[in-house]
Amino acid sequence: MNLYDLGRVPWLESQLIYHAFPRLGMEGLILLAPAEPYVCIGYHQDAEQEVDLAYCREHDIPVFRREVGGGAVYLDGQQLFFQLIIHRDNPLAPRDRVEFYRTFLAPVAQSYQDLGVKAHHRPVNDIITEAGRKISGTGAAEIDDYAVLVGNLIADFDYETMVRVLRVPDAKFRDKVFKSLRENLTTLHRELGQAPPWQTMVDTLARNFESVLGPLTPAELPEVVQEKVAELARTHTTEEWLLAPRRRFREDRKVKIAEGVEVVQRVHKAPGGLIRGTVETQHRKIVAVGLSGDFFFYPAGKLADLEQALVGIKMAELQHVLEEYYHTNAIESPGVTPEDLAVALGAASAR
Amino acid sequence: MEIGDYSFPDDLLYDREHNWAQIDGNTATIGMTDFGQDLAGEIIYAETPLVGREITFGEPFVSLESGKWVGRIKAIVTGKIIEANEELEWEGTLINDDPYEEGWLAKVELGAEPEGLLKANDPEFAEFIASEREKYGK
Repeated sequence: MNLYDLGRVPWLESQLIYHAFPRLGMEGLILLAPAEPYVCIGYHQDAEQEVDLAYCREHDIPVFRREVGGGAVYLDGQQLFFQLIIHRDNPLAPRDRVEFYRTFLAPVAQSYQDLGVKAHHRPVNDIITEAGRKISGTGAAEIDDYAVLVGNLIADFDYETMVRVLRVPDAKFRDKVFKSLRENLTTLHRELGQAPPWQTMVDTLARNFESVLGPLTPAELPEVVQEKVAELARTHTTEEWLLAPRRRFREDRKVKIAEGVEVVQRVHKAPGGLIRGTVETQHRKIVAVGLSGDFFFYPAGKLADLEQALVGIKMAELQHVLEEYYHTNAIESPGVTPEDLAVALGAASAR
Repeated sequence: MEIGDYSFPDDLLYDREHNWAQIDGNTATIGMTDFGQDLAGEIIYAETPLVGREITFGEPFVSLESGKWVGRIKAIVTGKIIEANEELEWEGTLINDDPYEEGWLAKVELGAEPEGLLKANDPEFAEFIASEREKYGK
């Protein structure tokens, strides 16, 4: 298989090159970084729901919809991207998706280890550190008869801009996402005190992929790829492509930080008023809670205590704990029951 | 009919891409098989097929996502989509939980007689599933 070590390329090419390969019947491993920052959304995401497009326009941050799954992310030249395009009948490519990820994320985990970070693959598609923090973003797609796997070695990450480009309901929610991102997503720079030299990352990744793919032959991009990239640019940069309505949302707003880690905001209309609940969970256990709205809650001050009391409990226990809290603290909240609060915090479907 | 851990109702027709079709006159209800949903894993999102769209046997017509993997579903019949299961947009796991009932994908007005589809009790189908189970380690 050919290795295309492309260095830094214009951000749009950093996406369109791997979209071009399967359409040209080409396999290959591409290593590159975008020369400019941009926002990239998953194939099924709704750009207007996920991204603050006005902010991005104001700050000249391009937004792109990839054909690969996953969520919205702010990307820049501080990440080294790998893009593997392999025919689905290639005997090296397991047909089972779990096995596919296991096979081709092993060299990525090994690369982190070689660079000094004890990281491993956690199925289905996460690379995590010993402390359980995610340290690579990965996704895959079937494009024509090819499987495409994309991901990165994260030298560093701009957390501030990441949370700024996301569309979130309010500053409180943004703050929760920021704190959760910092807690659950790490980088080589944070783990090692400094990022390794770029060429070391490239060489390490290529060497470890060779252990799975066999010898890789350094190659230059053929002209036909550039022609296909130019052709794809005409379709994949239109507003029609970017703003195509895909996944819609009901009243929930959810940001997935890592496997099993989510921040959810839900607005629930109870007879006593509107309740806005924000909850961060790790494997269905509550890590942080925020409750606000236009409902009454007595004694005053007990709402903040309640938020603290819910930390550490399992989502399945939520309603029971709320009922106990109401009883123990003689809570009065006209038109708002413990069940309403549980619904606002995502315990039961509000659909 | 059960093959291994997988269920394949006798009254449906199957292709070799892990899809099923229930033919009723000139209409087909189509979906993904029990084996197909298992291969896909937990489906977090399934695109709703566009009503009115013409689809062609063997050509991808809709996508779904599981584990950040975007997969394409190929059409088991040729025709025009006349109804889509919009619930899938909210609950992609309906395909996982109930692939032959609540997890149906679309109803299609047939534009051509379905060809090459197999019944569950067809020995050729049993051979196909056996080879697929071996290939995928299922």
